[in-house]
Amino acid sequence: MNENDAEIIEEATDEAVEKGLERLTSERISEVINQVLHKETGARFKAYVDTCMRCGLCSDACSYFLSNDRDPRFSPAAKVKQTIWEMLDKKGKVSKDFLRRAVHIAHLECNVCRRCSMYCPFGIDMAYMMLLVRRICHKLEITPQYIQDTVNSHSVTMNQMWVKEDEWIDTLQWQEEDGREEFEDLRIPLDKQGADIMYSVIAPEPKFQAGLIYQAAVIMHAAGMNWTMPSRPGWDNSNMAMFTGDNEISGRIARTFFETAAKLNVKRIVMGECGHAFRSTYDVGNRQLAWTMAPIEVVHAIEFYHELLTAGRITIKEKFSKKVTLHDPCNVSRGRGLHDMARKIVAMTCSDFVEMTPNREHNLCCGAGGGVINCGPPYKKERMRNNRAKAEQLAATGAEVLIAPCHNCHSGLEDIIHHYNLNMEVKFLGDVLFETMEKKIYRPGE
Amino acid sequence: MGNEASWDWNTDLKEIPVEEWKERFNWVEDFQISPDGESVASIVNVDETAFQVCVNGEVWDNAYEKIWGLKALPDNGFSALVYDGEEWTLARDGEEWSGRFDFIWDFQVTPDGKYLGLAFQKDSEYGMVVNDLPWDQTYTNMAGMTLSDTGTSAAVVQAAPMKAADVDSFKEGLFSVALNGTAFDHTFLNIWDLSFDATGRRLAWGVRLNREAYTVARDDIVWDRTFQGVWKPVFLTPENVLAPVRESGKWKLFRDNEPFWKRGYDQLWKITLSPAKGDIAAVVADSFGKWTVAVNDRTWDLTCDTMISDIFYSADGSCLAAVFKHKGLWNLSVNQTPWTLFADKIFTPGISPDGSLVAVVIEKQGKYHLAVNNRIIAGDYDFLTAPVFSPDQSKILVKGIEKGIYKRRILSV
Repeated sequence: MNENDAEIIEEATDEAVEKGLERLTSERISEVINQVLHKETGARFKAYVDTCMRCGLCSDACSYFLSNDRDPRFSPAAKVKQTIWEMLDKKGKVSKDFLRRAVHIAHLECNVCRRCSMYCPFGIDMAYMMLLVRRICHKLEITPQYIQDTVNSHSVTMNQMWVKEDEWIDTLQWQEEDGREEFEDLRIPLDKQGADIMYSVIAPEPKFQAGLIYQAAVIMHAAGMNWTMPSRPGWDNSNMAMFTGDNEISGRIARTFFETAAKLNVKRIVMGECGHAFRSTYDVGNRQLAWTMAPIEVVHAIEFYHELLTAGRITIKEKFSKKVTLHDPCNVSRGRGLHDMARKIVAMTCSDFVEMTPNREHNLCCGAGGGVINCGPPYKKERMRNNRAKAEQLAATGAEVLIAPCHNCHSGLEDIIHHYNLNMEVKFLGDVLFETMEKKIYRPGE
Repeated sequence: MGNEASWDWNTDLKEIPVEEWKERFNWVEDFQISPDGESVASIVNVDETAFQVCVNGEVWDNAYEKIWGLKALPDNGFSALVYDGEEWTLARDGEEWSGRFDFIWDFQVTPDGKYLGLAFQKDSEYGMVVNDLPWDQTYTNMAGMTLSDTGTSAAVVQAAPMKAADVDSFKEGLFSVALNGTAFDHTFLNIWDLSFDATGRRLAWGVRLNREAYTVARDDIVWDRTFQGVWKPVFLTPENVLAPVRESGKWKLFRDNEPFWKRGYDQLWKITLSPAKGDIAAVVADSFGKWTVAVNDRTWDLTCDTMISDIFYSADGSCLAAVFKHKGLWNLSVNQTPWTLFADKIFTPGISPDGSLVAVVIEKQGKYHLAVNNRIIAGDYDFLTAPVFSPDQSKILVKGIEKGIYKRRILSV
């Protein structure tokens, strides 16, 4: 064991994982692994297992591999080898030490960002393989503590941060009052039946970043949108359960979300700047329920801001003048192709833009996504070490401001900037839009 | 409701100008219209932090720092949640409840209008209040508040404390159901979808026993079988409970712990009963992404690609209407036959008691229209609310706003 190994194991101590491992028997371990790998998978899994020829082309796609001096253990193929292949070879008869490492690899050494899949000659979806490992961890009850707590919160409150129902509504009313500093008749309309838009956010907004709701309300009001926010559960579009393999809770979250919108009879749902939540609505949570796509159209903030600016509903008073760069979040760029639309918004709102390289669908992950940052404080130091490549990418831009249109990315990038002393400020696109927009009400024809 | 016979079914048109309210007040919020269509109301701002409720141009006596949740009641009055002096209460037609709370929300009303229920928080403790009578016992957390048709109330409550991120305590099961404030004995990992019987005395709910095992509890007694998932249970009779459960990868309808329907579906939810005929309907996905309606385990010919948001029976059980979305547009299907009126939005349909007439408000390109039996009979409104058939089914009450004027119309059908 080298020094690096010791550090990893020391940092990996997680009470929920350790207590979970203590409870396990070898019979239970093999039962769950075989059930998941043989009863919950199909041709896709078999094709991935049979097709990988260990070429290693995925390695250089992984920011963990790059950040750890090309240590082969961090190659995506090696992560599968250290988890799934071993489970298959041993027919589920693996040790608790093996599982401790598997928990760590799947939850802390992979952001399920899917960059590696683009470089695999066969397009093997490594993220799917890691999520299978997380599904096994979920069933064995060895999911890391902090992310498990977010799923527990989802299961009780339908939001990820134990925001109580009165706290949610009270926060909206508070932001509405504050918003009247900008427009005296500004409203955050609650439960407005038949509004065109349901605006939805993730739970950290009412919990820690209520100002983002204020900004969104100002933008909606200025743009003259017919919009509403729900007072009841279903307002949180995030879905941490899809990252822990709790597919059943993931589906319940998605059902609550879409049925809340359906009950309000809205045409579409506009969501704030969150990447994983966007994926949960068009790819994961919906499909758990047999909806092929989102049953109510979901519009990411990038698409919405672009629509408002190009339609002239929001006009820019004066462009943002600091040198900015743009981080492409995995789930909205690689996953959904919104990267060029984001650039158009930057071009309309900022005067000095520099690309970070690589970019668009080739961008490096923020290192926080996929539930990694949600595993909490015990892993922060390790996360920073694994984010070195991203830090180097950011530093090379020389930008003063980093625009990151995703909550997880935003938080993770702030950690990186602080840890590596990069002297950058992180902003959402909404921050930039709010700062640069004319605070006047849109009137058609004016 | 139920007193429709006493309403005015003879005056073709009554108008109340509401545009002028915008001149009288700083701003006017969303309009609510009484079931009989005689009253239109809105929350209005009268000063910097002063709000009132305006009904047919007359404001309630009191002004408040905040008002929200204005609702038209079955007796044709209005209620709203009002805040003044750092306390919340409910005001009904301007008269306040005596109870004062730190917060109130989730305003529910029984169909006959006799009971008004709310969730409340006071001193960081949670409970429900019905007709101004708060639960004797309160809890540190509460969800899933449910008011029965007879005025009883229930909610999922946290029965024991939990520290931040305490996954061990959570694993033990911290949640119970409280009926009229008193918690049942059992605690569970999760509880969802409280469902009363018609008397409001019996209660069923979905539970998760551990990470993988889901089932149903009726009056705190848990079914023996466990499943991969569960959706909202429904009382078939006072003694029998139906619930969609997932078993071997398929959703199935179970009754009292035993299989009831034979088929398994990719999805099955929204169990809807026809009390008159005893039929059982549900929204199902026959296969992935292929949605339809099943009645007594037999699927409709209809298949839609997006969503069936709800299904509704007529009182006599002869008519079953489904609100569905196909290829991006909303529509209605009545007894398996889809209408031709695809719309951007479609609201809750109204069905005549004998099932012969179905009326629904739709929105197309920003304008509201009323359709009856697949034919638009009134249109180009800026806003329309739920229509009502006359007791003899010869007329329909249309309630909408057109060019700044609220219009109560009686049309023949």
